Amino acid sequence: MRNRKRVGWHKYVNGVTISTLVTVLFILIPLYWLVASSFKPPNDLNNARLFPSSFSGGNYSNAFVGYDFGIYFRNSLIVTLATTALVLVLGTLAGYALGRLPMRGKFTTMVILLIISVFPAVAVLAPLYLLLREIGWLNSYQALILPYTAFNLPFAIWILRNYMIGIPKEMEETGRIDGASALRTVWSIVLPQALPGLFTAGIFCFTACWTEFLFALTFNSSNNFRTIPVGIAEFGGNFQVPYGTIFAASVVATVPIGILVFIFRKFVVSGLTSGAVKG
Amino acid sequence: MTAISSASGQSAAGQVRPVVPPVPRPDINRKRLARMGWGFSAPALVVIAAVTIFPIVYSVIMSLNNVTVTGSGFSLDGFTFSNYNLLLHASLWRDALFFTVYYTVVTVIVELVLGTCIALVLERLVAGRGYMMALLLLPWSMITVINAELWAYIYNGTYGVADYILGGLGFGHPVILGTPTPAIIGLMIADIWKTTPFVAIIVLAGLVMLPGDVYEAAEMDGASGWYTFWRITLPLLRPTIALAVIFRVLQAFGLFDLPYVMTGGGPGTSTQSLAILAYNALFKNLAFGPGAAVATSTALLVLLGCLASLRVFRVQVGQEGN
Repeated sequence: MRNRKRVGWHKYVNGVTISTLVTVLFILIPLYWLVASSFKPPNDLNNARLFPSSFSGGNYSNAFVGYDFGIYFRNSLIVTLATTALVLVLGTLAGYALGRLPMRGKFTTMVILLIISVFPAVAVLAPLYLLLREIGWLNSYQALILPYTAFNLPFAIWILRNYMIGIPKEMEETGRIDGASALRTVWSIVLPQALPGLFTAGIFCFTACWTEFLFALTFNSSNNFRTIPVGIAEFGGNFQVPYGTIFAASVVATVPIGILVFIFRKFVVSGLTSGAVKG
Repeated sequence: MTAISSASGQSAAGQVRPVVPPVPRPDINRKRLARMGWGFSAPALVVIAAVTIFPIVYSVIMSLNNVTVTGSGFSLDGFTFSNYNLLLHASLWRDALFFTVYYTVVTVIVELVLGTCIALVLERLVAGRGYMMALLLLPWSMITVINAELWAYIYNGTYGVADYILGGLGFGHPVILGTPTPAIIGLMIADIWKTTPFVAIIVLAGLVMLPGDVYEAAEMDGASGWYTFWRITLPLLRPTIALAVIFRVLQAFGLFDLPYVMTGGGPGTSTQSLAILAYNALFKNLAFGPGAAVATSTALLVLLGCLASLRVFRVQVGQEGN
């Protein structure tokens, strides 16, 4: 009704297509600059050349050989995967309980989780640092996995609870009649139904861990445990910031998350819109 | 184990009499299920409490104490209000608060207007909307540090492309990240590039869900497109827009990555956000008391914002609560 029928060249050149093109350019031009700069040889980086004079992979090899980007990538991967797995397991159990079991104080718990999920990370930074130092966990994977899990759980629990509520009670009872244990019921009956929720919670957790900076900067300062964001931020040398290397590393860091978000875009959108807040 | 086997026995017994409407479960069964529920949620809740609630409480205690840094750590030397007193009288805290609020207000307004425009366009887009969504998600999923490095390179004084463009347009060659106002604008542009698509997606999802019959009625009454937008679309979108605003405002209070990498809070302290101020106080100056006070006051501001917005949410949360 609101899409008028267009004829002739108006079909292709009209307000909608032009505005869409502007939007695409708005997003793509800075990204183009990132990718193009990552392939530029050193001389091209010092002027605003639109296209690289020659394509060079030197920045990429330098990121891995000259700098320890390989280590940072591995660290990010370990921390992110471990956190996402933990969040999904703990979040499913809690989401199931808070969504389906007759617990008193459920509502209060959910509201507290909502409030916690908007707390700024800086509020817990100092005590957490002191705690981690006390137990000797600074510069370790668990130093990040623990806080990341805690900060991503509230959203995951909200999302999963919402999916759990929608599952018909009869399905669950069938499992009980067959004599399955409670955990088994969750695993083989509830979980498949909540799969979209798992995807949404998973992709949000993955993105949050992959991009997190403040905790990673504070807790894991040693080179062997730095994650990608900290590594890239500290690439800067004494005299010059090695932008070519930084952008090569950035491209390598952005490709996996970009592919994941592309595959799971439907679930990201559903998480953004019906997310933690709307309930 | 007993709880579970009796629960399944209960359902099996209920299944024998199919005509009878579902009987309320006996109290004892409810209690067992509730215990099981707390058992299931305990691991998650314990982790969350250990990393958020306990440290927040500790932050408050630290902020209310004279904290002395010693060789092996620090010690709390008695109650004081001086840390907060320091905040209220220090221009550093006021400046950081002002910058954070100013930055938040401007970026949120621009992102909202631009995001709504993009959403309105994409709603009319017939083909390729899925790919556009994926494209919009790309800046959202990017590491903020990368965004910061990219824009710092663009703004670079000697070989940044922004310098060429401004020079070509006759604006001369301002030192963008080295002068307060241009630095703030530069940060805002980087933020707007990354977050506008995120706002657009939220608004677009709200637009798609609007009831079509209202528009048909408006069209029959001969309402113009402009009138329809102001009088129908915008009021109907209000909950969606409120959601996006609240999300963004709460997020912006934690502003750290972008200025930390791009300007380091400078030039001077002109782009020092509350989070950077707290970080510097805690980990650069080892001023644990005042640092904790900054962190606590930030958390308090966020909490107040959250409670105020809870009024908006409550209807929706309450509907689900059973």
